[in-house]
Amino acid sequence: MIQELIAFGILGVALLYLGRKFFYKKKKNNDNCGTDCGCG
Amino acid sequence: MSNENINVALIGNPNVGKTSVFNALTGLNQQVGNYPGITVEKKVGFCKLPNHAKANILDLPGTYSLNASSMDENVVIELLLNKNDKLFPDVAVVVTDVENLKRNLLLFTQIKDLEIPVILAINMADRMAYKGISLDISHLEEQLNTKIALISTRKKQGIEELKQLIMSYKNLSTEPCLNASSMDPDYFGGLRKTFPNELVYKLWLVITQDVNFRGIEKKEILSEHRKSDSELKRMQQKETIKRYQFINDVLKVGQTIDKESARDFGTKLDRILTHKVWGYAIFFGILFLIFQSIFSWSEVPMDLIDSAFGWMSTAVQEHMPPGVLTDLISQGIIPGIGGIVIFIPQIAFLFLFISVLEESGYMSRVVFLMDKIMKRFGLSGKSVVPLISGVACAIPAIMATRNIENWKERLITILVTPFTTCSARLPVYTIIISLVIPDERVLGFLNIRGLMLMALYAAGFLMAIFAAYIFNKILKVTSKTYFVVEMPNYKLPLLRNVGINVVEKTKAFVVGAGKIILAISIVLWFLASYGPGDDFNNADKIVTAQISKSDAAVSQQELDGHIASYKLENSYLGIAGKVIEPVIKPLGYDWKIGIAVLSSFAAREVFVGTLATIYSVGETDEQDPIREKMAAERRPDGSKLFDLPTGISLLLFYAFAMQCASTLAIVKKETNSWKWPAIQFAIMSAVAYLAALTAYQFLQ
Ligand SMILES: Nc1nc2c(ncn2[C@@H]2O[C@H](COP(=O)(O)OP(=O)(O)O)[C@@H](O)[C@H]2O)c(=O)[nH]1
Repeated sequence: MIQELIAFGILGVALLYLGRKFFYKKKKNNDNCGTDCGCG
Repeated sequence: MSNENINVALIGNPNVGKTSVFNALTGLNQQVGNYPGITVEKKVGFCKLPNHAKANILDLPGTYSLNASSMDENVVIELLLNKNDKLFPDVAVVVTDVENLKRNLLLFTQIKDLEIPVILAINMADRMAYKGISLDISHLEEQLNTKIALISTRKKQGIEELKQLIMSYKNLSTEPCLNASSMDPDYFGGLRKTFPNELVYKLWLVITQDVNFRGIEKKEILSEHRKSDSELKRMQQKETIKRYQFINDVLKVGQTIDKESARDFGTKLDRILTHKVWGYAIFFGILFLIFQSIFSWSEVPMDLIDSAFGWMSTAVQEHMPPGVLTDLISQGIIPGIGGIVIFIPQIAFLFLFISVLEESGYMSRVVFLMDKIMKRFGLSGKSVVPLISGVACAIPAIMATRNIENWKERLITILVTPFTTCSARLPVYTIIISLVIPDERVLGFLNIRGLMLMALYAAGFLMAIFAAYIFNKILKVTSKTYFVVEMPNYKLPLLRNVGINVVEKTKAFVVGAGKIILAISIVLWFLASYGPGDDFNNADKIVTAQISKSDAAVSQQELDGHIASYKLENSYLGIAGKVIEPVIKPLGYDWKIGIAVLSSFAAREVFVGTLATIYSVGETDEQDPIREKMAAERRPDGSKLFDLPTGISLLLFYAFAMQCASTLAIVKKETNSWKWPAIQFAIMSAVAYLAALTAYQFLQ
């Protein structure tokens, strides 16, 4: 029981992390872009 | 003026010998202090000129341009913009290095725009003969609208001439040498109207640099002449390009570099390393050696890592109480981390070599050598480094594109780099090649399997170049190039710099890609370990019933294997494999391969591991158990599943498909948009599908 709880907790963290990484958009200027890339 | 000293400011890029000129002019008459309120060093000296005239020499901090980015550069701009400063120069001496005139002249043209008298001091004249450089001084003086002193502080030449020029500074022209405001005549015309008493270039500096300037506020100018930050940035870039174009034109006539007559060792070495034939031969020779070493040196640590993680999994399985968490750790998390750590040796070795090549100055020669060829495909000479680094891993390779100035070339490099064969593809290639390509030799010594592997590397590289060519044709991205090939002097690489570089790049991979790979392995494990419906939940009973019906004698181990495989078939992942079966059937794959291919879209290195689970490889004593199982796998009609057509189709699919979530994430980060990773994913998957389809249908 406790094992399942922790395991699914880890799954939750993993999903949350992936979700943040891929879908959560940060509006942040990227210094590494050229100024003409239209991404500033 | 006779009893007033002439104020002279020495300005120049770092390392041009400005301090040496200062010492030559002032001797021991120096005072060192700080600028009021800040810690930037202020050096003032005193110099006797001919005819009893005297000069105060101010040595300003070294600066690359008037685009202030540091406190040092701000000091320079603030002084030059403030006529009321008591140090404001009557004349500026811009010191340059004869070997780096092109780069050094950028600052000169900017100072010239401030309409103060400027003398151009070209230092290190003693190096000219070594380097085969000759200058047409009168042409340069005319084009740059200035007076030139050709000096060598080392040989103590030209200093008197410089003093003479300083003394007669009133004869110098204060006209700019190029008209920078022509890049946007309307805007600058407007500025001129609003502030008729101010220099347009001064206003421009106030707008673009955060400098204090008495009497004019940035806000005041911008309130009447609005420009957004990105517009301003773009205009600044335009300005730089314009200046470099002008300098190029001037130097084309005013400077000749005759490499043949150069005598120094570096130039002789350059002549070989950038030679039309030898240059390429040496470069490819070095590449060959690097790859040989990477793969042979990494073998031992990789095997060690592999067995260490295998041991850890077993230990966890044995010592933790049985349960979901134990399984997750031993089958999901530990192999997940192992899948990251195993690439560290290759990546570290690769970056060790690359940073040695960069530090020694050789890489700049390669960039120079390759630039012409790469340009034809829409790439830059600097794309060579990412394309080579891609052999280890696309993630650090894509980060290595940051020094490509031209945005379009950088974008294309980012888009095509994942085609190069990264080390994650290697385990897939190795196992499939060993299944479908016979272990034979041609011509007595060439191993066919080795040739196949090489062909796959070549295919990846050629596809990258071809894709770049197409992208170059269709991408509508405007950008300008101002490629300044800097040829740094050869030097022995500093161990410290190399070490830092290797650690940083490796860390970027482990931290950047590692977390994603780990998270995905965890999710995959759950998808493979849970399923809907009775088939999944009652797998034990169903399989046991089937087996006891068939009367076959099976060991407990085999039984466990069958149950695991049945479970996987009915897990969420297995169901997904069945759903895509119609799509992948024309490529020669069944649903099991489908699962492996699907999970590989997270990270391709999970392919072999997933197949191992699917074919329920238990703990057996056989050598190479996965390979054996794969070789024994049959289609419903009894033919071998992993035959030549399916094998080649799989190899091509893995060669071209974008199966790496971490790379997509890094592309998103570097391009700051979802558009490019999406395009990349779509195009690469389409290419992979078509290639695999063609191969299978043709070979079948
Ligand atoms: N060959 C040669 N080297 C010089 C000459 N003037 C300066 N250098 C060298 O250039 C390097 C940078 O000089 P420095 O005066 O410190 O440059 P700064 O950074 O511009 O102040 C030093 O190693 C000097 O010895 C010169 O006329 N000829």
